Amino acid sequence: MAALILPAGLLVLLLLVAPMAMLFRISLNEYSPTQLMLEALQPGNYLRALADPYYQAVMGTTMSVALSCTAICLVIGFPAAWWLARMDSKRKSLAVILTVFPLLVGNVVRSAGWMALLGRDGAINAALRGLGVVSEPLQLLYTEGAVIVGIVAVVAPYMILTLSAVIEGIPRNLEEAAANLGAGPLVAFRRVVLPLAVPGVVAGSVLVFILCMNAYATPVLLGGPQFKMMAPAVYDQFVRGTNWPFGAALAFLLLVVTLALTVLGSAVVGRRYRR
Amino acid sequence: MGTLQLAGLSRRYGANTVVDGVSLDVAEGELVALLGPSGCGKTTTLRMVAGFVEPSAGTVRIAGRDVTRAPPHGRDTGMVFQSYALFPHMTVAGNVAFGLEMRGIGRAEREARVLEALRLVRLDGLGERLPRQLSGGQQQRVALARALVVNPAVFLLDEPLSNLDAKLRAEVRVEIRNLQQRLGLTTLFVTHDQEEALTMADRLVVMERGRVRQVGTAEELYERPADLFVANFIGRVNALAGEVAGPGEFRVADGTALPCPRDAAPGMRATLCLRPEKLRFQPWASAGVPAVLARTVYLGGQTEYHFTLAGAPVMALRETPPAGDRLRGLQPGDRVTLDWLGEDARLLPEVAR
Amino acid sequence: MAVRGARMLFGASVAGAYALVLAPVLAVVVISVFSQEIVSFPPEGFTLRWYANAWDKREFARGFVTSMQVALVATAIGVPLGTAAAYALTRARLPGKAALNTLLLGPLAVPGVVAGTALYLFYVRAEFWVDDDIKGTTLGLVAAHVLLTIPWTVRLVSAALAGLDRSAEEAAANLGARPLTVFRRVTLPMLRPGVVAAGLFSFIQSFENLELTLLLVGPGRITLPVAMLNYLEFRVDPTLAAVATVQIVLVGALMLITDRFVSLARVV
Repeated sequence: MAALILPAGLLVLLLLVAPMAMLFRISLNEYSPTQLMLEALQPGNYLRALADPYYQAVMGTTMSVALSCTAICLVIGFPAAWWLARMDSKRKSLAVILTVFPLLVGNVVRSAGWMALLGRDGAINAALRGLGVVSEPLQLLYTEGAVIVGIVAVVAPYMILTLSAVIEGIPRNLEEAAANLGAGPLVAFRRVVLPLAVPGVVAGSVLVFILCMNAYATPVLLGGPQFKMMAPAVYDQFVRGTNWPFGAALAFLLLVVTLALTVLGSAVVGRRYRR
Repeated sequence: MGTLQLAGLSRRYGANTVVDGVSLDVAEGELVALLGPSGCGKTTTLRMVAGFVEPSAGTVRIAGRDVTRAPPHGRDTGMVFQSYALFPHMTVAGNVAFGLEMRGIGRAEREARVLEALRLVRLDGLGERLPRQLSGGQQQRVALARALVVNPAVFLLDEPLSNLDAKLRAEVRVEIRNLQQRLGLTTLFVTHDQEEALTMADRLVVMERGRVRQVGTAEELYERPADLFVANFIGRVNALAGEVAGPGEFRVADGTALPCPRDAAPGMRATLCLRPEKLRFQPWASAGVPAVLARTVYLGGQTEYHFTLAGAPVMALRETPPAGDRLRGLQPGDRVTLDWLGEDARLLPEVAR
Repeated sequence: MAVRGARMLFGASVAGAYALVLAPVLAVVVISVFSQEIVSFPPEGFTLRWYANAWDKREFARGFVTSMQVALVATAIGVPLGTAAAYALTRARLPGKAALNTLLLGPLAVPGVVAGTALYLFYVRAEFWVDDDIKGTTLGLVAAHVLLTIPWTVRLVSAALAGLDRSAEEAAANLGARPLTVFRRVTLPMLRPGVVAAGLFSFIQSFENLELTLLLVGPGRITLPVAMLNYLEFRVDPTLAAVATVQIVLVGALMLITDRFVSLARVV
């Protein structure tokens, strides 16, 4: 039976592990303007990326955007997930489709939608001017706020679905028992539902955080040329520049920071709510 | 149909022995119940017969053939699962036909036998339903039909009634027993419910912590339990520790003399066991054992009388006396005299508690 | 009073979350029928001519076909392999099960841009060995996208397997079915919702993927999301919105059809 794992396992080894190992190896090479790459074993690319104020700023922006987005997703996703989990099965089909549907549409399309909503002549500015709230259009697009809103909208369905799967596994009568013992809905939620939903909170946050750290289309389209996050920065190294060793080092830094924050976050939440 | 023989069947998980040397012969057409508290190894024993659990030692023979190492699909047992385990994606008829299909039986015969099996369990006309469209009782009957239709050598039932409500359980009990007798099915039945076992089985196997404590008919187990565990597990029992003082005389710690069988060897330390319905009492002092009434429990047709005898609790069960009878006036704290036939009591070797 | 306030706050936050998620989708559909070419609110009028215009833009039509092909093939490969692996992971007694599980779910944890970069360099090196193109070919894209479909399948099918009532499989064995027959006739049909969900999610992941794909596309082999991104870097106009709307309608239809066979509410 173990043989059943082989094909999938080998594919992942070949297409993920081997390339990652190669990427790591290349990140230790030296760049040469004439020969592209010189074989070497040196940490210079990492040191340069870590010391460069530009990349420090890019990494800082990426982390702060990803953390804000994850936190916002959790806050807005939890009520929606609870609503979805506790819905009767007839309407639920529609609600689930409504949640999954935006995922299928893809984040490029959704970014286009935000551009139409947030632009100088977009729907929001038009509405604000129509109501006389502002006279001049607000600069909504090409801001960090636009990027955060865009990313949250992209990843929120993942959070809602992950959380609702876990909440569904919490027997409804636990809430009823809490109510019977005198807990109001908010207390029942905080003392019963939330602690039991911790595995979902961790799983959802990890998934969402990785997607945020990795966001490409949204920062490029909604952040504008001045706004840089790590994913576009890594990509630029390979498309606009030819410094592969440095690009590889940047990619690895992004991976390490993402995984480190994920592990750290899960550990902290896990300890807090250990059962 | 065939016989079922278990010899020295054991199952260990690491240092934990779940089934310990179970030996048992089930005759053709006999219904044997494995009875015991949860965790006693009865279900593991059944699963070893079906082939889902591999024995650590011992053999399983079905119709004389050693199947100890045979896979489940090569054993020719028909099992009814506690959860029924109906295939949710197949119709009732599809479920019942599955085993026939696996045996390579042609479509025409299959359909005829499915119809017959469904009629047997009174589910005619429901063949095209899906399991989830049936009530619990109906699902249970589909599970029965599915196991029966293949004419298995041995019929296995794993707590088949535990998911039914009390009223339905009593009905299905009779139904299964009738079917089993009519078809002459060699059956092994697992239950934790002694009433179920007593009413259905030809013989009962009482198990505790992986071992067989006693095998026998309902009557044998009730009247002549081999040990205190069996006495306690089958029906209710008054147990009093003490020593045989002389022919027909048993003394408890404080010296009170109690009637016991005449053939008991004097000097033996033992526990005297007496069924509640064998205990007689009179609300006035006379020749007998003095005791104090602790409380009465009215059960309708019958009433329980709980006494304190030399510091130990004992209970008598008798028909509720008619209104106006003197016994109706008994109050807790009243002195009474207890009495029973020495031959009704049973001395078990070990000491209670 | 407090309870009522909480309930209203709850309702508002649910509505808010869904508004945020659905607003951009809705916006795209709306601007696809605006008559002016530069998107601005309020609209000057409505028209359907952008749909005809979109049809003439071959980069979108070709991108759609490429994306479809890649997503279908990657799903067709990844779902069976992932299902087999999930079955073995859940059922077999294996040493190093946790490590294998981590390996198979690994592609979910590695940021797409990092995996895409690694694959790009790997392809460059492999092209050198096999002396043929891999970047910018359907094969190269499919191989990369299988990496997306495997972890989602392993994840969803493992969850479905964990929730499966094993006694139905035992019943089948008891009735004389051999292990392979048990799998084919009982396990697999009972897993169907999980497998369908895995297929749907694998398809989604592949069809809409941008990060992993960006470096691996080539002339004539551009997926729809990459084509739209390239176009969008210049401007958002009704033509692009029309393309997106067609995609939205197709996707919606696909979901409704899937839902008829397997209730999505139960599998996702």
